[in-house]
Amino acid sequence: MRPTLLGVLRTAYVLVAALVVATLLPRLGAEPRWVPDLVLVGVVATAVLRGPVHGALVGLLAGWVVELVPPVGSPLGLAPLVMMLAGLVAGFFRRSSSRSPLRAPAALLAAAAVVLVGRLGSAVLAKGSVELVDGVWRLLVTVLVGGLLLPALLALDRALVRRRLG
Amino acid sequence: MQPTVRRRLLVVLASLTVALLVADLAHLAVADGVRRAGGLVLGPVQRALAGAPRDDLAAIESENVRLRALAADQQHRLDELGRLDELLGGGAATGRTLLPARVVATDVSALGGRSVTIDVGSRDGVRTDSTVVAADGLVGRVVSVSPWTSDVQVLGSADSVVAVRVGPAGTLGTVSPPAPGDSESRPRGSLRLVGIAPSTPVVGDVVRTLGSVDETPYAAGIVVGTVSAVDPDRGQLTRGATVRPSVDPDAIDVVAVVVPVARSTPRSPTGARR
Repeated sequence: MRPTLLGVLRTAYVLVAALVVATLLPRLGAEPRWVPDLVLVGVVATAVLRGPVHGALVGLLAGWVVELVPPVGSPLGLAPLVMMLAGLVAGFFRRSSSRSPLRAPAALLAAAAVVLVGRLGSAVLAKGSVELVDGVWRLLVTVLVGGLLLPALLALDRALVRRRLG
Repeated sequence: MQPTVRRRLLVVLASLTVALLVADLAHLAVADGVRRAGGLVLGPVQRALAGAPRDDLAAIESENVRLRALAADQQHRLDELGRLDELLGGGAATGRTLLPARVVATDVSALGGRSVTIDVGSRDGVRTDSTVVAADGLVGRVVSVSPWTSDVQVLGSADSVVAVRVGPAGTLGTVSPPAPGDSESRPRGSLRLVGIAPSTPVVGDVVRTLGSVDETPYAAGIVVGTVSAVDPDRGQLTRGATVRPSVDPDAIDVVAVVVPVARSTPRSPTGARR
């Protein structure tokens, strides 16, 4: 199997997004609650075009990238599984009302909700503490940024597929 | 990629992830390896992104951090020594055997009030219901003892009641945290004084412990606080009051446990000696 341009771009996007979220934005003084989950946006952009299985696969791999960017998450492997579920959920939005422009943001909202619930659930199970308000803010910021970013990502994806580069 | 291949790949990768998750939860070495690999590969990228400083600058900065930590440590020790001096030279120490201790953990109870853990225990001679004092006055009493630590119920916890004497006349009363049914509103952190005998406390009166047999749970004559407000006269028999505790429960550090000393010689009546 030859790596396609789309595959390379997708990998690069996930890597850069993970690094930006973990390193660059905190360095620039952004508070955690204002940092959008850019990786999730990329996963949803793929999942919404290609369905649940593909979405789950991309989510799992992207989740591993996020997990391995230091600070490495703890427990190891939880974030990939949550991200996989998020990609799976976003994939289910592929067919429903296919022409609506709100389809991708709705998928992102569902995926972000899955991530939030996963974080809350693990915090409850591990008896840790969690900032619910911060989590909700982060979800909103993610959906907002995703609403701007998703059309561009989807258009790029479609264009590359049309030119047989995907 | 064929859909079936994709599905199979997903299942394999997901099971691998679950296996790693379980390994990490079980503290196996595999997970640590993965963790280190992440830092090894992506750490340098992050350093570059964050604009890591040049090496001489970094050396000076780290030296600076080290020295600052050292200075802070020394200052902390000095403060602690000062507090210990104050504690052992203060009024609570006269004529008593004190066991100096330091607060190592605190917990705000769900019912209100606070409990702290101190670093002395039964091996040091602490018994349940010993009095705990700080330089400014009463902190609370020991509620449970383990070999090396003890838990202290701080004054103002939900069910702590201290028998006290108020003012120069020494009127009897009890000091307890403000109860839900209290008719007066009291500022946060203050205590409620209820007199036993019909009397009126005066603002500024010093409230001291009454004391009990063998100095447990509260030794006699230790300052609890001062009366900061007197409840208005509503025709009740005894006037209540608000007491501001002399020890700030949020900032307890160096304390001492009063070691109860049982009396062994009988007191002789005065004048009987010849």
